[in-house]
Amino acid sequence: MASTTSPSSVNTQGSPTQAPAEKPSPPPINILPSQLAQTYSYVHPVVLLGLYAYRFEALVANPVRELLTDLPWLAALQISYVMLCLPPAGTAFIEAGAGAEEEKKKVPKSPAGPPRHGKPGYRRKHSSGKISWAGVFAKLMPAFLSFALTSLLATPLIAVLLVLFGAPLTTHNAETVLCAAHMALLSATGLVYVHGVETSVWKEVWGIARPADAVWGSALGTGLGAWFGAIPIPLDWDRPWQAFPITILTGAYIGYAVGSLVSRTPLLYGKRIEFAPEQAEEEEKKTN
Amino acid sequence: MPRLKAMTTGSVPSFLDVILNIAESDTSSTLAFQDTWLAQLKARGDQLVMYGDDTWLKLFPGMFGRADGTTSFFVSDFVEVDQNVTRHVPTELAQDDWSAMIMHYLGLDHIGHKAGPRSSYMIPKQQEMDAIVNEVYTAIQQKPHLQSTLFVLCGDHGMNDAGNHGGASAGETSPALLFISPKLEALGVPQQSPIEAFDDLQYYRTVEQADITSTLAGLLGLPIPLNSLGVFIPEFLDLWDSKPQRLQMLTRNARQLLNTVQATFPGFVFTREATAASCATGADSGIEGAQCAWSEVLHLSSGDITDDATSSALESSLLRFSRIAQDVMSSTASNYDISRLCLGLLITGFAALLVFPNTYYECARSTYTGVFLAFMIVGYGSMMFASSYVEEEQQFWYWICSGWMFYLHVRSASSRIGPSRATDRLSRHGSKLAIVGLAVAQRVVRRWNQTGQKFAAEPDIARTFFPAHPAVFWGLFMITYGDAGYHLLRSLPSSVVLKVGGVALTALAFMFKVNFVANDSPELLVGSSLSKTAEKWPEILSLVLQARLIFGGLVCCALLAIMARYRPGAKHVSNTLLHEALHLFLMTQSRATNIPLFLVFRIAAMTLSSMNLTGIEVTITTLILQYTTFFAFGGSNAISSVDLSSAYNGVGSYSVVMVGILTFVSNWAGPIWWVSAGHLLRPQQGSEDHNAASLLTFHIATSLMSVMAACTALRTHLFIWTVFSPKYLYTMAWATANHVAVNLLGGVGLSSLRSRK
Repeated sequence: MASTTSPSSVNTQGSPTQAPAEKPSPPPINILPSQLAQTYSYVHPVVLLGLYAYRFEALVANPVRELLTDLPWLAALQISYVMLCLPPAGTAFIEAGAGAEEEKKKVPKSPAGPPRHGKPGYRRKHSSGKISWAGVFAKLMPAFLSFALTSLLATPLIAVLLVLFGAPLTTHNAETVLCAAHMALLSATGLVYVHGVETSVWKEVWGIARPADAVWGSALGTGLGAWFGAIPIPLDWDRPWQAFPITILTGAYIGYAVGSLVSRTPLLYGKRIEFAPEQAEEEEKKTN
Repeated sequence: MPRLKAMTTGSVPSFLDVILNIAESDTSSTLAFQDTWLAQLKARGDQLVMYGDDTWLKLFPGMFGRADGTTSFFVSDFVEVDQNVTRHVPTELAQDDWSAMIMHYLGLDHIGHKAGPRSSYMIPKQQEMDAIVNEVYTAIQQKPHLQSTLFVLCGDHGMNDAGNHGGASAGETSPALLFISPKLEALGVPQQSPIEAFDDLQYYRTVEQADITSTLAGLLGLPIPLNSLGVFIPEFLDLWDSKPQRLQMLTRNARQLLNTVQATFPGFVFTREATAASCATGADSGIEGAQCAWSEVLHLSSGDITDDATSSALESSLLRFSRIAQDVMSSTASNYDISRLCLGLLITGFAALLVFPNTYYECARSTYTGVFLAFMIVGYGSMMFASSYVEEEQQFWYWICSGWMFYLHVRSASSRIGPSRATDRLSRHGSKLAIVGLAVAQRVVRRWNQTGQKFAAEPDIARTFFPAHPAVFWGLFMITYGDAGYHLLRSLPSSVVLKVGGVALTALAFMFKVNFVANDSPELLVGSSLSKTAEKWPEILSLVLQARLIFGGLVCCALLAIMARYRPGAKHVSNTLLHEALHLFLMTQSRATNIPLFLVFRIAAMTLSSMNLTGIEVTITTLILQYTTFFAFGGSNAISSVDLSSAYNGVGSYSVVMVGILTFVSNWAGPIWWVSAGHLLRPQQGSEDHNAASLLTFHIATSLMSVMAACTALRTHLFIWTVFSPKYLYTMAWATANHVAVNLLGGVGLSSLRSRK
């Protein structure tokens, strides 16, 4: 909403209103320091938008088929992006140097715990541009996990949200689900890859209270973009692209790109939406 | 009614007639003293007969020698209204003492309103109408006294995809017009049928509705009504053999138009010398164009009109002048007094400026909320400049409403992460679910009634789902009344008499509504056991009496509530009792299919109350939900969506004030409900320093300002007024009735009750 995008009302993390942290929430995520990762992290949103623009006509002509055929490509792009540019789940805290807080790593089906194991060596090698086999494996598991969770959990959840925000319920079900799948791939892949199933993070995500970083920014941008994407639908231009999922998805893609680029600028990075202290106090008074 | 006015006087109805139309039974708005072709016939000593819609009888009291009016109050009646006309047709066709017979069939209109253009009733009804046309035509052919009868078949309006009318879409403004007479064959204009429409619903040729009057006058040999702006339909000229007669006819038409033009534009002279100059500018439209055309007429008529070429030229120049004059007169409404427009803008701007400091102070205290409010106000204001957004205004409110739900979610989630963590887990989970409940309620509400223009015909709950699943509807209907009764009982003071009274009142309200449904939309009752109950009921008590009893009981509740504030220990009673009485009243004033919405409102209000909103948040929530629910009840910015079905509850004879108030209440039921609910939601302490009135005033002032600015800026655009005139009327209703009467006065009343507690 407008309020969330307003920088004037954003408190930095660690302001006095911040919760007395029994368990500090994970800090914002940085893009991996390697040259390749840094470069590609800027190229990726542009590439996505470019491809979207390229396929736009086909999308308008037959949304369901186009969205379906694009899905594997989007998944591949997103997974390669997260693997290339983002620290996999479990490495993030050390990556950001936020502290030795032992994260309750819960990537379930990785008993060997390769992420933690492979991390230090991997990072050093990474900066030299070489990718070790162990490093790739360390990233494959979270990538697989993120893909599975995105498609199994995030897609239905976003579909439900889309309906709650006004998507048709009795018709256009295929469009809704496919639109949700695209939005899930855009928003959730990165989040799951970086954070795994860390409860505190997902609580923050639910409360829209994550500190701004490339991952969270793109996820929030996807949602906001989709919301703003609804604007042109009622206009009486009678254009085929005004049909239901197209403007929403366009908004989501643009929001994704903008969010991912804007939220890593120093102006926003690490900041989070926090209600004004005075109001929080009022809140406090009332609840007591 | 405005349409009838156009077709009988030949004048162009103004948008003010729309207001008179709502006051439909108002006998003061008759055409009895206006010049119509009916009055001209009557003046000639001819007999007129009328069968059908009794609006004619109200418009023309004492005009008809024989008449049988049918009241068109319940639109669910597809059969009776038409049979009442048809049964008179054979006897009237056999008589020869009348000169004009009007048959106004209502069935098609009712089917359109009730079931839409694609309903299964449509085709049989049209075939029934065809049969009547056939009957009349056969009679004209066979009966000697009907020999020179002209049979005019026309619709007074069309309908949109939802079956309503009053807007400006092609479907609504393109009714059919057919002149039938065996004599017309002689004209030798063979017409193909059926043909393809060359434009949206445009076949053959378009005739202005006002032209019917002057054509009828010409054909019947009557003087053209004084205020007519009609032009004789030139195709009929060939009915006259002699050129001078044709010319005389057209000249009369043109002179009559000239008189109206001269009366409207006294500054322009239509003498030969003065008008010749206007041709120099080369204008072929507007007042100069009319002057030029008239000078041509004068020039030609001074020549030799026995000459064939001259008379043809004169004929065409007469017609040309008439057309231009008609255009000029139809667009007289587009003479704008810019200074007055600006004055209005300034006054509203001043009002907005007055409350701005207060609003700013409110917003500055809670930045996010202020930003959201500013975003909403700016968005709403700029929306007014796009006519399709005005038509689809509900989309904006639904959209903002979903955004506000998201905002409330973020706020409550973040405040929970914050210091108020101490609250126990259970309530935290409770309010997490609350936001989901609210979101679901919001989603259900927005699909309740499809409204606007673009999606009006799409399936929704009230008009598609309920008729298909009456059991679900009646289940929800009964639960809603049960809930209303339960809450009313709980808020009544503990006295047996009062409790029994409360039960009786709710039961009566329930029976009244069932009974009303049996009359108004019987298709909802078909096959349910309620229908039998409803059948017996009317004999015991009339609908009017039932409604009066309900209103009386509700007034008693309100009095109790006001008295309760003086009684010590009766905390909470007055406000909740008043709210419950209002709840029942609004239910009585709502369409039956909208009644379950009150249950949804109740759930939404309950979830909202569990969220501990601050004062400003309650105000914004109320504001957004006021608009959202207005549209959810089926309202829109088109006149066609005004719901009049409950406007006469408990009103025996017509009274402008009562019907006006009831109409407003039945159309603004959602907004009124949320004002009252908003007062209950307001935080108990610390609310004195929050000034809801200034915030609401700021919103209404800015929205008024943007509507005015949009009207001023776009005033010359084509068709813009068809959207903005009704929008402006609605904005006036929002600003005066809803804001001043409900928000401010109601708010003052409610908070005075509250402060005395």
